[in-house]
Amino acid sequence: MTQAPPVTGIDTFREEVHAFFAGDTVRRTLAEVAAHAPGEEAAGLEVYRALGERGWLAADWPREYGGLGLSPREAAVVTEEMTLAGVPDDVHVLSIDIVGKFLLLAGTERQKKQHLPALARGERAASVLFTEPDAGSDLSALRTRAEADGDGWRLYGTKVFNMKSQFADVALCAARTSDGAIGMYGITLFLLPLRSPGVHVEPVPSVQNDRFNLVVIDGVRLTEADVVGEVDDGWRSLNDLLQLERTGIDFHGKARRLLDLVIRRAAETGRLADPVHGVRLAELDARLRASHAMAWQMVDNLAAGAPDPVASAMSKWYAGEQFRPVLQAGQEIDGMGSVLTAWDGEATADGVLEANVRLGPAHRLASGTSEIMLYLIATNGLGLL
Amino acid sequence: MSLTELFDDELIPVLRRLGDRPKGAGQEAPSEADTAARELVWATLADLGELRALLPVRLGGPVDALARLVATAEVMGPALFQSPFQDTVLAAELLAADGRHDTLLERIAEGTRTVAVAVREHGTDEPSRPAPLTTHDGRVSGTRRFVAFAPDVDLLLVAGDHEHALVAAGAPGLTLRRHDDIGRGDLHRVTLERAEPVPDGLLPHGPSYGRALARARIVQAGYLTGLVHGALELTVERVKSRSAFGRPLAQHQALAHRLAAAAAEATVVRSFVRSVARDGDAGQDIGSTAAQALFLAADLARDVTAEAVHLHGAAGLTEEQDISVFHRRAAVDTLTLGSPTALRREVAALLAARHHVLGD
Repeated sequence: MTQAPPVTGIDTFREEVHAFFAGDTVRRTLAEVAAHAPGEEAAGLEVYRALGERGWLAADWPREYGGLGLSPREAAVVTEEMTLAGVPDDVHVLSIDIVGKFLLLAGTERQKKQHLPALARGERAASVLFTEPDAGSDLSALRTRAEADGDGWRLYGTKVFNMKSQFADVALCAARTSDGAIGMYGITLFLLPLRSPGVHVEPVPSVQNDRFNLVVIDGVRLTEADVVGEVDDGWRSLNDLLQLERTGIDFHGKARRLLDLVIRRAAETGRLADPVHGVRLAELDARLRASHAMAWQMVDNLAAGAPDPVASAMSKWYAGEQFRPVLQAGQEIDGMGSVLTAWDGEATADGVLEANVRLGPAHRLASGTSEIMLYLIATNGLGLL
Repeated sequence: MSLTELFDDELIPVLRRLGDRPKGAGQEAPSEADTAARELVWATLADLGELRALLPVRLGGPVDALARLVATAEVMGPALFQSPFQDTVLAAELLAADGRHDTLLERIAEGTRTVAVAVREHGTDEPSRPAPLTTHDGRVSGTRRFVAFAPDVDLLLVAGDHEHALVAAGAPGLTLRRHDDIGRGDLHRVTLERAEPVPDGLLPHGPSYGRALARARIVQAGYLTGLVHGALELTVERVKSRSAFGRPLAQHQALAHRLAAAAAEATVVRSFVRSVARDGDAGQDIGSTAAQALFLAADLARDVTAEAVHLHGAAGLTEEQDISVFHRRAAVDTLTLGSPTALRREVAALLAARHHVLGD
């Protein structure tokens, strides 16, 4: 029940990382992102390369692959400081936390050497091609197929709602290699070179600042060398990884950044002294502190080699549910000021609140929807359903 | 024996009913058997060394005292173990800060002395602002209501707006009347008429009261998260054992997701409570975070126990089902150390003050 005191080294590490995120490189990145015209999006952010130079982008990867060989705690500190600073983290999540981490655990030596160092240096990005027009949370319904072709396959299918594919060199792509009674079986994960003939990437207009992509794959030929993990059994092993590595640290960090903005606006507008607003913010602050404690408990579990997928689902679900009330409180506090976009030029808080109101519903959908989290808790945790 | 072995499947159902009496039985006192059972559990807690966490470090208390007290309270929660535990946490901290009652603290840690805290005169009073207490010639007069376990304890700590009085339970001038409350527990009206405190028994009201209250609050939050987990466990068992529309209730997604959400909230709040306890042990000011943890735990206790009754169906409204006791007791236990609304107001004021200071 009683826990060991935190490792002191982590405090020093956090100070260094915090100082970096409070520094000029990050300021420039944030200014660059804020100055984007509608529809404009950065290919690679300077801050990623700066993090990569320090080995922080993938701090818990082995040194030979561009990390520092540190623990999940240090990796969580980087994620947390990145989200608290407001640095866009999609590339980090996709390239490092999903594709890179899966390669690290299930990839061949050749795949690791080919991809991981460049991802860890922030020089390259990888995207994730799972979702299809008719397959979201239920990946067993996917239609992208890998047709046998000599010693390999040819991939055909359409992937949608993926991000950063327009910049990425490679994507982790789920395709069906065989049919069977069990829906999850028969799905293989391929490393798909995105700059191949036969891959077509186009934007899908969305309400967010960063674009969604539609990726059409038309007969790209891949071989065993492009498969990550077991043929036919890729989805299960990736799903296991995602469940184990999920902590809620990133979701909490983003929600906390927003709440701190809302509290700051409440103080600036004098509304913090009004109990109608103050009490609401006191409650949201409590909920995010609880989310923070839970997320760090998940990190500590990982560091101790004892991840708890049910508790991790609880942590992600809880953090994801906090965005809506935080954003609503922000709208109440800033009033009509909250509806002006960054491009208007007169928005309060540089339009950050407006942009996040548009993005808000994404947090209950991304990285496993709230309903999937509840399903995991109900089944694996409570023995229901 | 460990704490979890003490609160085992055999004892828990007994403990849940301690002090309970039939509806409308009014001020009837708890049975001697109930009192004896409660005292036996308390003595075992002392034997296990759990009560040593009530001692300050200078008297040999553990450095992780608050984490231990919270852990104990978490185990008491599912058993709905009604005891002066939380009150004794508050009293012990005040006594330790006062510095004149080390012998009494040792007795408390041995389990041979218990303390109830008497803080409210009116139902709308909040423990953060104790009701007025009149002191004249070293004797105290006043009324305190909603005092738990007043006849069972050895001492009453009567919190006042200027000073607090430590009064022996049998002191002349002190009279008790048992309330008839929703929890059918052991709340009492205490009347003090020129009651004489124990030697050095007048303690000044100051910052140590707020610190003591914060410690008691986080322990109470631990108790409530335990209570919530207990209610959820009963309810999960229930929906697995009942069927409707041709399949077990447990297979209905609408119900399963509600239980999953409640279990997630309960686990997250428990994690928060434990982290605040660790902060307290590390010497941090937990005034605000303990209040936050308590209102989250209290909200959850109310919601989950009501939902748990609902998921039991009409059977949940019967005396036979333990879940009905959870629901009734939660109504009391979510108010004793501050109503969730009052706690929010306290935290909001601290939040505003913090930003005002930062703004300067």
